Amino acid sequence: MSAIEALITELARLPGIGRKTAQRLTFHLLQQPPEQAGRLASALVAVSERVRPCEQCGNLTEEQPCAICRDPRRDPALLCVVEDASAVAVVDRSTDFRGRYHVLGGRLSPLDGIGPESLRLDPLVARVRGGEVREVILATNPSMEGEVTATYIQQLLAGLNVRVTRLARGLPMGGDLEYVDGVTLAHALVARQEVS
Amino acid sequence: MPLVTTPAIVLSALRYGETSKIVRLATREHGVQSAIAKGALRPRSRFGASLQVLSEGQAQYLAKEQRELHILTAFDLLHLHVALAGDLPRYATASVLGEVMLRFAPPDPHPESYDLFRDALEALGQAPTPDVDALGFRLLWHLVSVLGFAPSLEACARDGIRLPETGALPFSTREGGALCPACAAEHGATQLPADAREDLTALLDPGAALPRLDGRHGAAHRRLLARYVRYHLAEGAELPALEFWLRRPWEAA
Repeated sequence: MSAIEALITELARLPGIGRKTAQRLTFHLLQQPPEQAGRLASALVAVSERVRPCEQCGNLTEEQPCAICRDPRRDPALLCVVEDASAVAVVDRSTDFRGRYHVLGGRLSPLDGIGPESLRLDPLVARVRGGEVREVILATNPSMEGEVTATYIQQLLAGLNVRVTRLARGLPMGGDLEYVDGVTLAHALVARQEVS
Repeated sequence: MPLVTTPAIVLSALRYGETSKIVRLATREHGVQSAIAKGALRPRSRFGASLQVLSEGQAQYLAKEQRELHILTAFDLLHLHVALAGDLPRYATASVLGEVMLRFAPPDPHPESYDLFRDALEALGQAPTPDVDALGFRLLWHLVSVLGFAPSLEACARDGIRLPETGALPFSTREGGALCPACAAEHGATQLPADAREDLTALLDPGAALPRLDGRHGAAHRRLLARYVRYHLAEGAELPALEFWLRRPWEAA
């Protein structure tokens, strides 16, 4: 296989990139100065060599433990459980949540053969048993699989003397009631709050 | 491109690109179809939360002739079946039903399997927890039967000779049911004990009370059903949800 073909094949393995896009990216790279391709290659190698899951929370990090787990200003009593490391960045960037995280590494999905043994559930139970955690916030996605994962964790933590909460579901800011689907509206109605 | 409107249930939903989803739909009027829901992942998408696995609604798509991927223009949600997410055994069973539809229901009109699947999801969501296992067996056997692979228990699956109404029977997954002694001797079969036969008969009869299956009988029945589905429907294909349901990973927790 030629070098061009090999690069196209590798790029086409990436999510959201088909063969045509892979070809376009390959030829774009070939038109750039060689240093640029070198920097890209170095960055790829560095990521794969240096980035590892945090031993405590499962977030992706270059140091053990990760910066969030090391941060003494964060509240260790609040633990936010997310499906993937990418969600840590989203929650942390978009909110003023100052607790810690636990990354499951996926969600329960029988159709994909992903069961409880594939998720980081034992470390989660161990952290809760450690006694420092007072509240576990289940921030799995609001999908059927996210729901079943949240329910499973809730049952797993029952009896461990920890408060278990779930992210609220409801209307998006800037939305329009006319265009909101019935399910979201029903959830919003059930989870309505008193205004004072 | 004709606009098709049909009752449908989402069997799978895959992320496509930054904002779209590709869904496989069990439709009542047109069998299993694939469609792209453009922009479904945008925060203000018209699809909202409707394109969840196992959600039921009225689908509208632009059917592309000679193409396998249609364009989904709307999915008006009728039922999300959230009760199925109430526990993992229930969701795992519903996933097997979905997988059987996804892999084996034809891409042609087949309202019988659609109606059964829709009613099965509703029944499974409403079932008391102790009944989920047995009800799951019944629903899966019914779905397999509606798809044309009903196991024969009253007559020999090979030569049609009537079999005794009670007692143990030779059973052959390959032949599709019970065999008479002569066929069993010639083609091979495993013994279906009298109580297992009674249970299977009750499971295949929608009017009969659900049998109470203890752990050992439940496991044996689960293996039989999985073997049957794999042999008659899978043709070597991987069935992750079936394997998941068979190994019951929630019991190890």
